[in-house]
Amino acid sequence: MKRRSFAALLAALAVLAAHPAAAADAGKITVFAAASLREAFEAAAPAFTRKTGIAVTFSFAGSDTLAAQISQGAPADVFASANEAQMKKVADASLLAGEATAFARNRLVVIVPKANPGNVKDVGDLGRAGVKVVLAAPTVPVGGYARATFAKLNGTNGLPADFSSAVERNVVSSELDVKAVATKVSLGEGDAGVVYTTDVTPAIAANVDIMTFPPGSAPEAMYPIAVVKAAPNSAGAQAFVDFILHDGQAFLKARGFLSP
Amino acid sequence: MIRAGLIIASAILLAFIVLPLAGLFIRLTPGEFIAGLSSQSARTALGLSAFTTSVSLALTLGLGTPLAYVLARGEFRGRRLLDALVDLPIVVPPAVAGLALLLIFGRFGVLGPALRVVGIQLSFTTAAVIMAQIFVGTPFYVRAARNGFLAVDRTLEAASSTLGMGPLRTFAYVTAPLAAPALLGGAVLSWARSLGEFGATIMFAGNLAGVSQTLPLAVYLNLQSGDLTIATAVSALMVVLSLATILAVRTFEPR
Repeated sequence: MKRRSFAALLAALAVLAAHPAAAADAGKITVFAAASLREAFEAAAPAFTRKTGIAVTFSFAGSDTLAAQISQGAPADVFASANEAQMKKVADASLLAGEATAFARNRLVVIVPKANPGNVKDVGDLGRAGVKVVLAAPTVPVGGYARATFAKLNGTNGLPADFSSAVERNVVSSELDVKAVATKVSLGEGDAGVVYTTDVTPAIAANVDIMTFPPGSAPEAMYPIAVVKAAPNSAGAQAFVDFILHDGQAFLKARGFLSP
Repeated sequence: MIRAGLIIASAILLAFIVLPLAGLFIRLTPGEFIAGLSSQSARTALGLSAFTTSVSLALTLGLGTPLAYVLARGEFRGRRLLDALVDLPIVVPPAVAGLALLLIFGRFGVLGPALRVVGIQLSFTTAAVIMAQIFVGTPFYVRAARNGFLAVDRTLEAASSTLGMGPLRTFAYVTAPLAAPALLGGAVLSWARSLGEFGATIMFAGNLAGVSQTLPLAVYLNLQSGDLTIATAVSALMVVLSLATILAVRTFEPR
């Protein structure tokens, strides 16, 4: 028994040892990516490796954390940020190999349960008395953006000047994070909620309909990607950036991201 | 040698429990503590918690006492199973409790359509807060009350009936007074559990100031928004209330 497990261990070690050697033929890269990109990038990685033979290791964290780590000399090949501010920080410190390119967009949307218990037909209906609106708490970023968007709509697009206060009166819960908003609406407890397009995961999408805000009213997050100047494998890094800008778009779209 | 080891181990664990709680008090000056507690957010949460826990305690006593009596005195098949079922909410994670409540009483839950017919929607209401509190707090009372009833000498109850007292009067004048310490202890524990309820509340009742934002939710929200003074002041208050609860239970506990 003991001998057999030892043999199994040896075999496992041999496989582990062989793996990097095989990948080393085409090289490997380390991608620093915003946490919100996790599902999309992890789904895209095997396709990238199949196509190029380059192995990918990810480090997912908040964009600000990643930017700080790159500034401190972390060995990243690629940086994919969830906003332009953190990318600019790295660019301003002359740590990028070239220009950053936008590869995806994320946007605020209104979601409504498929059964539509509140009879919500457009964004304006969120101000109708009795509609149960679920938002994230004002202190949660998406909760703040949602409220700012409603304020921006006051007196525009045929909405009343006090539209945002009418919506605020309809808020039945200020959830502690955006995922909770999506869940409460998909369960049908709320009549409508405001989330990012990327929060409408396939499981959520099966239960909700999506409504967009009037053009220009909702803030959009632009996701830029760039090769890091000190990249240990700049050719591999550039291949990954190219892949994300082309073949990778399908994986991003599947996770709710909009094209740039 | 053994003695020293005992003392050191005890001291380490005690310090580990007491120090973080004491830290809540060290962090704030008395002025900040008062300012934190008198903030709008803390006052609203305090009022809501006082109201909801009072209602849930009343309902727990009113419905839990008969159940505890049945469990202590009843002789029927499945009593042990019933016993175990009553204790279940103690071990079920609060988030699970909240999801369970939502799937039964939610708008599209099992009972949702029936409730809608009579014009009731429970999720996102104060009633939902109270239901969550009863769900998690009741077992503590029923358990204690059942044990209290079990400890009452049956010959005293028999003597009471022999003397012509009906079952209700026997309960009121003999059983209940004898079990009173256990009932009170259980009531205090159940109240404290309701007061601290977080997971099931946020899941089933949501989070809205004045409607469903109880003290624990206010702590979490203020912490998230970086308002450490309010969060710490409310936390310190809850530690004081918890300590008072434990001391009260000790006093009532049958020796």
